[in-house]
Amino acid sequence: MAPKFDQQKTKHQLFHLSISLATVLICMTYLQFQQNWTNVGSIWKSLVVPIVFTSELLKVLLARYYSHSDDNSLTQKQRQKRASYFSIREICGGLLLQFLCTVLYAFICIILGAPVLQNYEQTFVLALLLALETTTPTVLLLGGGGALQVCFCEKPDFITKSENTALELFKYNAIGAIMGAWAGSVVAPLDWDRDWQAYPIPNVVGALLGCALGNIYACSRILYATANVFLNRKRY
Amino acid sequence: MNYAWSYFFVLIWLAYLISSGVLLFSRGFLLSRVSKTDISSCQRLSLNESDEYFLSEEIVQEIFKDVNATSNLCLPQKSKVIILLIDALKYDFGVYKENISNPLPYENKLTIMYDLIQSSPENAHLMQFKADPPTTTLQRLKGLTTGSLPTFVDMGSNFASPEINEDNIIDQLVRHNLPMVFLGDSTWTDLYPRRFRRAYSYPSFDIFDLDTVDNKIEQLLPKELAKDDWQVLIAHFLGVDHCGHKHGPLHEEMARKLSEMNEVIKSVIAKMDGDTTLLVMGDHGMTASGDHGGETEDETNALLFAYTKGNKFIGSEFGSDNTTMQQIDLVPTLATILGVPIPYSNLGLINFNIVPDIKVPYMNKFQTLLLHAWQNAQQMYKYFFNYALENKRTFSVDELENMHNEYVLFTHRVKTVYNEAGFKSFIGDLNANMRLILNTCREIWVKFDAVQMSQGLLFTLLPIFFSFLVVNNLNALELYRIFTPKGVTFTYLVNIAAGFFGYRYFKNFSFKSEDHGVIFFTNIVSAFILIFHALQNWRTIANNWSAVKRFGNMPTRIIFIIAVSVFFSNSFIIQEPKILSYLLVGSILLLAYEIIQKCLRLELNKRFKWSQFLRSTIAQLLLFSVLAIIIVRYTYMLFRCREEQGNCVDFSGNSDGFSIKRPATAKTYIFAVVIIVLYTTLSRLYLRHSGSLTGGSPNVWLARYGPTIASICAGGHLLLAHSAVKNVKRTHIDAMALVIYGLMLVQIVVLCVSPLLTFYVLPNFSTPIQIRPWDNVIPQIFKKIKRMYDDAEARVNQMDAMVYGLTTVYSSATIVFGLFLSMMLIVLLEPRATIGMVACIAISVVIILVHSTLRFRTAANLANCIQPTFTGIVSWFLLAHFCFFATSHQTTLSQIDWRAAFVGRTSGLGKSHLISGVLVILNTFCGQVFFFCMYNLLSLLTFSLCALHPKFIKGTTAANTNANGTPATSTVEGIGLDMMRGEFLLYENEGTFLASSFKLAVQFLILQGIKVFCAMLACTIHCRHLMVWKIFAPRFIYEGIGTFVSLTALIVGYFVILRINRALERLIFKANNLKLD
Repeated sequence: MAPKFDQQKTKHQLFHLSISLATVLICMTYLQFQQNWTNVGSIWKSLVVPIVFTSELLKVLLARYYSHSDDNSLTQKQRQKRASYFSIREICGGLLLQFLCTVLYAFICIILGAPVLQNYEQTFVLALLLALETTTPTVLLLGGGGALQVCFCEKPDFITKSENTALELFKYNAIGAIMGAWAGSVVAPLDWDRDWQAYPIPNVVGALLGCALGNIYACSRILYATANVFLNRKRY
Repeated sequence: MNYAWSYFFVLIWLAYLISSGVLLFSRGFLLSRVSKTDISSCQRLSLNESDEYFLSEEIVQEIFKDVNATSNLCLPQKSKVIILLIDALKYDFGVYKENISNPLPYENKLTIMYDLIQSSPENAHLMQFKADPPTTTLQRLKGLTTGSLPTFVDMGSNFASPEINEDNIIDQLVRHNLPMVFLGDSTWTDLYPRRFRRAYSYPSFDIFDLDTVDNKIEQLLPKELAKDDWQVLIAHFLGVDHCGHKHGPLHEEMARKLSEMNEVIKSVIAKMDGDTTLLVMGDHGMTASGDHGGETEDETNALLFAYTKGNKFIGSEFGSDNTTMQQIDLVPTLATILGVPIPYSNLGLINFNIVPDIKVPYMNKFQTLLLHAWQNAQQMYKYFFNYALENKRTFSVDELENMHNEYVLFTHRVKTVYNEAGFKSFIGDLNANMRLILNTCREIWVKFDAVQMSQGLLFTLLPIFFSFLVVNNLNALELYRIFTPKGVTFTYLVNIAAGFFGYRYFKNFSFKSEDHGVIFFTNIVSAFILIFHALQNWRTIANNWSAVKRFGNMPTRIIFIIAVSVFFSNSFIIQEPKILSYLLVGSILLLAYEIIQKCLRLELNKRFKWSQFLRSTIAQLLLFSVLAIIIVRYTYMLFRCREEQGNCVDFSGNSDGFSIKRPATAKTYIFAVVIIVLYTTLSRLYLRHSGSLTGGSPNVWLARYGPTIASICAGGHLLLAHSAVKNVKRTHIDAMALVIYGLMLVQIVVLCVSPLLTFYVLPNFSTPIQIRPWDNVIPQIFKKIKRMYDDAEARVNQMDAMVYGLTTVYSSATIVFGLFLSMMLIVLLEPRATIGMVACIAISVVIILVHSTLRFRTAANLANCIQPTFTGIVSWFLLAHFCFFATSHQTTLSQIDWRAAFVGRTSGLGKSHLISGVLVILNTFCGQVFFFCMYNLLSLLTFSLCALHPKFIKGTTAANTNANGTPATSTVEGIGLDMMRGEFLLYENEGTFLASSFKLAVQFLILQGIKVFCAMLACTIHCRHLMVWKIFAPRFIYEGIGTFVSLTALIVGYFVILRINRALERLIFKANNLKLD
């Protein structure tokens, strides 16, 4: 009854997770050494957004790389999908969806209590970061329509195995980021007079840490499963 | 039906257990002192021969014939007084250290004191000035002027304005025509408005502003010193305190500030005349970091420096402490210097070290002092015994007896004091005895009662925990088995017996009062009964509990945990409105997310199409949730801020009138009226749509026209009562409020007598075409006609009676009750708060809509469907508490809206305090009252919505046919068809329904209990915190009263359901009888 062990899949997962964790680590180190906390909220002065974007891109490339291995087992639909990946329609749809998502997150930030007219730059940065952590990878992987389908419908049948693996992991990332950003506000009302209490620093850091937590949880699950497999194998 | 009533009584019993725990805790925690408004008075003996009470030799002889009768005579004034109160002037600041080469910033700056003590030791005196905690300026000023120990709740004083109504030195001076001039901190003029001849007061708000107030005082002081129309001059400097808060005592700024103060003192001394006494004092000290408020040595140790140019001080040979003076001793000392009676509630002693030695004609020095000291003692004993007499059980009987004996001894001994030596020994004993009184009082008024507090905590926790075990983990059938009428009767009997036992024998268990004994024993017994229930059903409980998913509802749990952990940090309490709205939005988003997760996938199935998405009900619901969230965001503008938040315009310490209102603009009024009208119209439309407004019985008439009338009255009252229209008579405005009260009363009566909003059509008269409003018309007509043409036998079967409004039978009646209730609350609230109230109701509608869709689509069976989800319960609970803030309330004692007590009662109608109290509580806790009374709607409306909008069900069934039937969805289909019958289904499953309604009430009770328990725990942990009286204790008071109100509201809500159920039962019975005829 030993669970089937898929070496490719596990490798993919572990690479994926190490990219995620490394990103968070890099971001935190960067923030630590940058000293000036107020920069976190500005678009051009902070490197957090580019770093996260690069890492998401890397993850998608990783998924692409592994999907080459199951090229031969593709169904008709999956081939079609792949062929239309770089079509103008898909790219436009993806960009539009990205934009809408950012606006949606900004809106949620505002209704959750961010200032309406001031600090819009900070709100935008936070929304962008959240969109990057949650929807971007899926959109990059599947295109706009595919992403919508994954979010709102039953699992579509054009998803390949490696894509599926990546999607599972994106989910942890997204949930962790949203919960982290939400919980980050906990320090806002405290009267400690620290400069890092200013909006949106706790939320940005919270999103990153939440991400890390989500990834660590996923990581421990995978390692546990792998360890189980190996232990069982030894026994037999 | 019996079992329903037993649930009802169980609910009352649980509510009693929790509230008694809260009550017990508050007894131990809220130290209270009844402030007495009596005043001392006396006749001043004047030195002017033409006056009535001229101090002549005969009078002096008369006095010393019977010293005990002298309490109504005051000796003449000794000198004028200048008080320089330097906030946070610590004793260390004034001590001069000679041999240090490198003084710290605060050392050796007040050189003038040292110089004067060196040059003229008999004219100057430097002492430690011991403050009683809490060492905050406001409390200290109270202590410094009334001579008593300020406690948290000075009962009897009015909460609304900080003005002191206890007897105090300032009022005594006013009464004896000694004009005063005041310069500095505006706290003084808040406490004593209109008492000063000239007052130059400046707000102390900006803690980082070191100089503004001080500079102004320094400009004005020389001019005032030059005038001679005052007897007392008070100047309160804030710079040193602010410097401490901003920089701490070890900063260079402190050196500058203290040197500045030194210059001020110097210049005052240079300008003052010979018969003036100068007192330089600090009201409290500061810690090494510059803060204050607690009770450490650093904070309580202030400085007092006294100087007089022409005279000498009496000195320390007459029993007064030479190095330390208690701050409460200032009042009798000042009274002695100025020749006014010692304020009634003073507990301090005269300190002769700083009283100028001025000879009173025809008297020896010791005789003068004897008179002063004895008057002080008489005043203090009088106060103490009167207080003990009026507040029995504050002090123990033995203690009182001892005191009284001592006092009688002194009254004899005082007559035998003939020389100075005798006086010295007498005053030594007298002082010791008076300090004993002070310590007795301090024990009562400053120390918490740990026993009551811990027992209160325990007795709140026990019923919460066990009712969670028993009620939350059992289903309807099992609850029915546990709470049998017999069992409940037994529970009550045992409780009553335990209560009597506690009442009778409370002394044997060393409890302080009867109530404590009663609460203790009933709670112990009740806990055992609950434990018994839990053990008896342990197997089922364990089974049900293990079926619960281990980390289910994690986000909701986190939301709830954050909501209750607000109490543990003062900055969270200050920001509570925002935190609550944050959590509320979070829970709404969570509901929306769940609906996307669990419903949208089914509905959209394979492919995502925008058109299909936008047409689906889910999209509408999402739109509604966004709307609700926007409303929550909008209510930010209605929040009232509190003093601690900084730049708060609401909170200005002005003490005119009752409430501190932000003037609302015309736009607000109009908006409020529009929103009330909209609210009534929409709810009326809903009721008509559900068929509840059909027919002509009186209660239907009331439901049809009552809310309209009420809303007109509410709008009219709102416009007229607050606006500046002058021509309208008060009585006319009052009449509108009275109409609403009347309608509410009528509604309550209707609710008790015949609450059902149904229209019953007898089958014989059913020739007109009846249309169920929730279904297509044509098929019904067709069916009807077809049946009519059927044969006669079929007619018998067809004789099912036609009843309008049966699908919403429970909810309609509840909603109508809620309508009247909300109208009553609206008329009590101010315009801005009205908007908040209606906004909260709108949010609640959205929560119900989203939740009931979610509930219906995820329920596996009927019992499941009645029971709301945990997220739903928590969001309803949060909403009830959020409404408190949305209706412009804040958890500070000074921001209670007292205006509500006078709505409809200005013309002197119903003077009773009870009604005023009820109105103010209804105003303050409107959210809890409304939403906990309406708590049943959360589960009821699932059914009526399904009946009114069959589209819901159709959507699911359509999805089911496509989604090749997972087991869960197929059962939904099963209920789905049943659900068409709406709430009548609930009547058919009466047992399940009543039990789950009870269970829901208990769940709310548990949530509320946990919340108040956390408030209590936070108070216990922080009971020596700097902010305990300013933030934690008021928060606890609000939560405690809120708990009482919420529990009552829950009971009322359940009662409403019971009444409706009973009436429905009768209706069905009648219908059956008719059918048989």
